[in-house]
Amino acid sequence: MTSTTPYTTKVDASDNALALNLKELFRYKDLFWVLAYRDLRVRYAQTFLGLLWALIQPLTTLIIVSVVFGRFVKVETGGVPYPVFAVIGISLWTYFSFVLSQSGGSVIGAQEMVKKIYFPRLVIPLSKAVVGFVDFGVALLLLIGLFFYYRIIPSSNIVFLPLFLILTIISSLAVGIWLSALTIRYRDFQYVVPFFVQFGLYLTPIAYPTDIVVSNLPNWATFLFYLNPMAGIVEGFRWSLLGGTAPMGYFWISIVFVFILFISGLYYFRKIERVMADII
Amino acid sequence: MSDKAIIVENLWKGYQLGSGKSGSFRESITNLFSSTKTKKETFWALQDINFSINKGEAVGIIGRNGAGKSTLLKILSRITAPTKGGFELNGRVSSLLEVGTGFHPELTGRENIYLNGTILGMTRAEVKLKFDEIVAFSGIEKFIDTPVKRYSSGMYVRLAFAVAAHLEPEILIVDEVLAVGDAEFQKKCLGKMKDVSNNEGRTVLFVSHDLRAIQFFCNKSILLNNSKVVDFDETSKITSTYLKSMLKVNNFTRNYDGGIKITNVTSELNEHKLEIYLNIKTDKKISFAVDVRLKDSFFIPIGYGTIGTKINQDLITIEEGDTQVILSLLTNDLASGLYYVSIDITNPNIEYYDRLDDVINFELLPLGTKTNKFLNQDWNYGSYQLSVSLK
Repeated sequence: MTSTTPYTTKVDASDNALALNLKELFRYKDLFWVLAYRDLRVRYAQTFLGLLWALIQPLTTLIIVSVVFGRFVKVETGGVPYPVFAVIGISLWTYFSFVLSQSGGSVIGAQEMVKKIYFPRLVIPLSKAVVGFVDFGVALLLLIGLFFYYRIIPSSNIVFLPLFLILTIISSLAVGIWLSALTIRYRDFQYVVPFFVQFGLYLTPIAYPTDIVVSNLPNWATFLFYLNPMAGIVEGFRWSLLGGTAPMGYFWISIVFVFILFISGLYYFRKIERVMADII
Repeated sequence: MSDKAIIVENLWKGYQLGSGKSGSFRESITNLFSSTKTKKETFWALQDINFSINKGEAVGIIGRNGAGKSTLLKILSRITAPTKGGFELNGRVSSLLEVGTGFHPELTGRENIYLNGTILGMTRAEVKLKFDEIVAFSGIEKFIDTPVKRYSSGMYVRLAFAVAAHLEPEILIVDEVLAVGDAEFQKKCLGKMKDVSNNEGRTVLFVSHDLRAIQFFCNKSILLNNSKVVDFDETSKITSTYLKSMLKVNNFTRNYDGGIKITNVTSELNEHKLEIYLNIKTDKKISFAVDVRLKDSFFIPIGYGTIGTKINQDLITIEEGDTQVILSLLTNDLASGLYYVSIDITNPNIEYYDRLDDVINFELLPLGTKTNKFLNQDWNYGSYQLSVSLK
């Protein structure tokens, strides 16, 4: 499907080229914002308790992780108080898992709309990235609070923080877009999402530093470990706040993989989009 | 720039019969490894569709259920992609396959206007510009900041339609969304849409089962049957072709299963009257009344006649067994067009013995001056000729 002029629509079944058609996507930017607004309004309609929940979830995770890995296992964090170490990964994971699970089922959830009207379907999973900001913001408040409590001054690497935030959004969307398209094709993936979120928490260097992984696993296993799109980002995020040696090697594998995942996800979504209304 | 708004060329749409593509992961994996791919049958919902519509025309799409109307609209609305062939739309397109798409019950009327408007392809700025007009059209100013979950269904539909009615596309594709709301509001909506196509030169493609709405609204129509375009012509011609194709076999028969039942109905149309032959079977001697109800081609009831139901009228009495009753119905005052006849046999005001709806039909053709039947139903004059005299 291509649009030659803004208002001429030509559809030809023999045209198999997969164009991302970002121009058209941009035309629907208002829908993107309105959908995000709708989700926010609906999610936090019963305001106070709603926002409190956004705090309770990362806080509980933090307490459990701090007790198990900080007290019992005594993970080596290089002098950083354990809760500070852990809260960085947890806040990122809060956002990642939220966007992942929301956008994963988003197109199925919007099927009534999908069957009745055309718009670039990509708007649906993309808008979930905005909705996750609220929970993420609350988790970041927790992080800032802990930095103040332990009187820790962030390292000068903090200038790279926005970069890692953007990478987090891209990474979350990459997985979210893949899952939303796959869920339409195979309903099995509905069950995969909670699974991902549960085990991902332990497979991502949130409660422990990456050195442990690199020094204890064979190279091939480390490589697999870094194919986790959040592995490199969590490492980088922690580096930008706490300093230390700059992440290298495997870190870049993780970042490159995020982009591969994101771009391939966009194309796979486009491919499924053509038949979406028929198979949903 | 071409003067065609819609060009459809060799359009085909096929669906895989059977479990189809939305299946389980296991199925795909199995298919991947099995050498004998199960060959699936394809159902062609649309076959070789070709037509073009000029700018500013309002065209109806008529066809019975399963003819492919909805599939065609879905493809032209880009909800789903064609299997073969393609189409071209010249102009900004809006499609209304339902009203209130995306409405969220928790959001207020105001918020839903923005939500629905942007889903329909407007920008927020455009919605803002039209906002007051939309609210005024819907007539629910007082409730605009109330969540729509508290709306009555009528209010909900009004608001939803108000948004839709204020779209300003060059091409409007409409499904049977008008089958909602009260009659008055429907009329308002139809009127608004008619204005739009007449005065603003908008191209409209309109699918409906409501032939009146199509006649009111569309000068030309496409007749779809069995996934193909059968005809594309003036609406009045298309509707009568369609209605003729809808005719049931004009001979009703059924097996007797006890009590008193009509077992067979046939009819014969003469120049001024319709003769109806009823075969009635009963297991005992019985008296009954016969009611005849008449509907026109839009299934609007236009008349009623009876033998036995009115006070002081004699009932018909028959003996046990099979009896033929012949009725005669004058057709002088009816316009040319199609009619449906329903027959009831009753114990007047006490019980129905048997009811047969639309069991036979007949068509009055324009015969000229000798009878009154030059009047045509399609002219919006109705079906019954009034006696008017000068005084």
